Amino acid sequence: MLQTAFNALALGSVYALMAVGIGLVFGVLRLVNFAYGQLIMAGAYTLAIGSEHSWPQWASVLACFGVVIGLSLLLEVGLFRPLRGASPATMLVATFAVAFLLQSIALLKFGSLVKTASIFPGLFDPVGHGQFETVRKITIVAIVAAMVALAALTLLLAKTTIGLHMRAAAADFRTARLLGVRANEVVTLAVVISGVLAAAVAVILVVEDPFVEPQFALRDTIIVLVGVVVGGLDRLWTATLGGFAIGVATSVFTDELSSAHSVYVDSFVFGLVIIVLLLRPEGLFAPFRARTVERA
Amino acid sequence: MRLAARLPEVVVPALLVAAVALLGTFTTRANQIHFRAALVDVAIVVGLYVFIGNSGVLSFGQISFVAVGAFAAGLMTISVGVKRGIMPTLFPVLKDHSLGNVESLLLAAGLGAVFALIVGLPLMRLSGLAAGIATFAVLGITHNVLFNYTKIGPGATALTNIPETTGLLQGMIGAVIAIAVAWIYQLSRFGRMLRATREDPAAAQAVGVSIHRQRLLAFTLSGALCGFAGGLFVHQAGTITTEDVYLNLTFLTLAMLVVGGVGSLLGAVVGALLVSGVNSFLVTAEGGIHILGMKIDLTDGTHLVVLGAAMAVVLVLRPSGLTGGREFHLPRRLARGRG
Amino acid sequence: MPEALLELDRLEVAYDGVPALRGLSLSVGRGEIVGLIGPNGAGKSTTLNAIMGLVPPRAGDIRFAGRSIKGRPPERVARAGIALVPEGRRIYPNLTVDENLRLGLAGRRGSGGDGVIESLRQLFPILDRYRKRPGGVLSGGEQQQLAIARALAAEPDLLLLDEPSLGLAPTVVDAVFERLAEIRERGVTTLLVEQRAQRTVAFADRTYALANGELRGIFGPADAGNTDKLVAAYFG
Repeated sequence: MLQTAFNALALGSVYALMAVGIGLVFGVLRLVNFAYGQLIMAGAYTLAIGSEHSWPQWASVLACFGVVIGLSLLLEVGLFRPLRGASPATMLVATFAVAFLLQSIALLKFGSLVKTASIFPGLFDPVGHGQFETVRKITIVAIVAAMVALAALTLLLAKTTIGLHMRAAAADFRTARLLGVRANEVVTLAVVISGVLAAAVAVILVVEDPFVEPQFALRDTIIVLVGVVVGGLDRLWTATLGGFAIGVATSVFTDELSSAHSVYVDSFVFGLVIIVLLLRPEGLFAPFRARTVERA
Repeated sequence: MRLAARLPEVVVPALLVAAVALLGTFTTRANQIHFRAALVDVAIVVGLYVFIGNSGVLSFGQISFVAVGAFAAGLMTISVGVKRGIMPTLFPVLKDHSLGNVESLLLAAGLGAVFALIVGLPLMRLSGLAAGIATFAVLGITHNVLFNYTKIGPGATALTNIPETTGLLQGMIGAVIAIAVAWIYQLSRFGRMLRATREDPAAAQAVGVSIHRQRLLAFTLSGALCGFAGGLFVHQAGTITTEDVYLNLTFLTLAMLVVGGVGSLLGAVVGALLVSGVNSFLVTAEGGIHILGMKIDLTDGTHLVVLGAAMAVVLVLRPSGLTGGREFHLPRRLARGRG
Repeated sequence: MPEALLELDRLEVAYDGVPALRGLSLSVGRGEIVGLIGPNGAGKSTTLNAIMGLVPPRAGDIRFAGRSIKGRPPERVARAGIALVPEGRRIYPNLTVDENLRLGLAGRRGSGGDGVIESLRQLFPILDRYRKRPGGVLSGGEQQQLAIARALAAEPDLLLLDEPSLGLAPTVVDAVFERLAEIRERGVTTLLVEQRAQRTVAFADRTYALANGELRGIFGPADAGNTDKLVAAYFG
């Protein structure tokens, strides 16, 4: 029971981080980055390569952050910027294409054989004895990391000038520009933060599952994307809550379904998603006002 | 425009398909597989277009109908003896019966339509992002169930021993049927009503068009065509796994539609043929080929990279696709009758 | 007329091929309040949007303090010293009044933001009272004051106002024009787009009348009572 609760919280925390990464970029660009999972995959591969070449751990982690942030910025300049005025459907398909492209590049370069990333193996150990033997250190680290990251981001958005500019840009980009808010600065910051979060998630996921292949984190990303839309994409906190909720739901389903049915976790989660979307298409946590999902 | 003047809209795509089939007869046995694949791709993409192109709603779930059609048609055309041997856990109704080629295609179309109708009844209320995610969830569920439920299929293993009845002729006929059905639909008042909702939902509703009903109709028709195409697909490949009708195919067929032009039937056909052709060429090149005196040997997986990059580039530079979403029109001087 | 701060030189703007401005030329001198009136669809908002870089001109030029600003993106126009109070106010309803004000500082050149905010709170006491309230709870007239204050926070050389009296009750409109008079005292150069022709003509140093994308007449305060002349400009 304790293990189920902690597992659910941990998965919810990791998914919440991913949700923030996706939600931040959506807020300022009105663009759902389908390729977010591939950014995490790139980070995981960096960790794997570092681990294979016996780099010191801090160097691998640093490289991971560097690669993911660099790739995010490359996406911003190469894809997001040219697509700024395009229709939502075009942007959706374009990021879908890039997701596919990145995955195929990984397949091309590394093949489908698995690479092992041995990072912070000690975190895989249990936290304590007795009842706590089933809870791993990484689970606690994931929860704490998510809380710290979310707290830091909330502070940034609420207390700093650039945070104010980002909130304004997310609510009404055009007016923000009229007031002098630098569009590119705001967008770049959102992309960088999003990249930082993706890299952090890569590190956490790699500790839990050190086997890296081109489809690393693909299933997680699909589930988070779904959770974010269900939660409500137009506000950052509803998107985050959506990611958290679907993480908890997935984890609980996985632990609680009998072994005969456990292979159908995805169907249960997707089925739940469809039901929620039908009942509340504007988002599970959106307040009762005019629906805004229509604009997507 | 008079009907006669609009005939080129359906004749040209059909002729393109026929031309490809004809070309295929002149190539070696080994290369024919690419032409057959291209014809099946046309059928699938036209199925996609019937819904996505006319409604303007992006659906990631159409390949579920291809999957259902493919597995149903494939399963039912395997001989009973083989089924009893390699898939003992099947439901008796599936295990102890088998169908002929055409019957299996009809079954595939019917199942696709029924599945689409059931799924569409609740889902067609949604638009935009919600619709995309919900249809994606349908794809996920279909894949999950097909992968695990061994009473309706082989589950994680491949479905094999399927008679390869989709030769160039069947492929061509199938593709042309799809094109004809799609054209008749878009010419009908149902198709026009749906297109109206794509251009301006509020205005369409104001004149009494039921968005939900028209979308459901198109979605069901799309389900039928996709199921039918799935039947063609499985009889062309001879063997199928759940991964063959999941994310890769979804991406590939969407890419074909986007590159050709989402808004037109010609776009669907041109996109499918072009991308299929390029894809086939690249896949062959990965095996090492000689062309114009040069040897090309691409690394495995290159074709996916090129495809992904091409799709991204087209979307950035020309989002309306190669055809710009327009059908084929004869130049004004040649067309008789006024528009 | 004092030295020209803003000059529009045969400006042409079209939306998807449909012309909205056909060769408009006008100028605003430093320290002046210039009005721009005309019926719906005349191109008044388009003029302001073109100046702010929200819509690219097809031909012609826009010069600010002698230099061309045609084609600059909105944030650069704002930082050059032009502030727009958009049509419909466009206050951020979910940000507090304070945050809305601080947002206006984004267009500032130089420091001293806090001092400006303080002085604006004195000029618009409403803002002082409702500091922490979300912008959405303010009434139409109060939002208009917030929008003007927000624009002034950037200490612009040129203030553009797009129909500030739109949708406001008559008494509230009076209050708005009083504020504008106070702004005039401070010497802020202003281009005021308005539907209320007579009021604007009486208030501004000079008023241009626009119809169908073209200039139809120029009025001074003395013409405010001359209904015939105004009507002729609108419908001539």
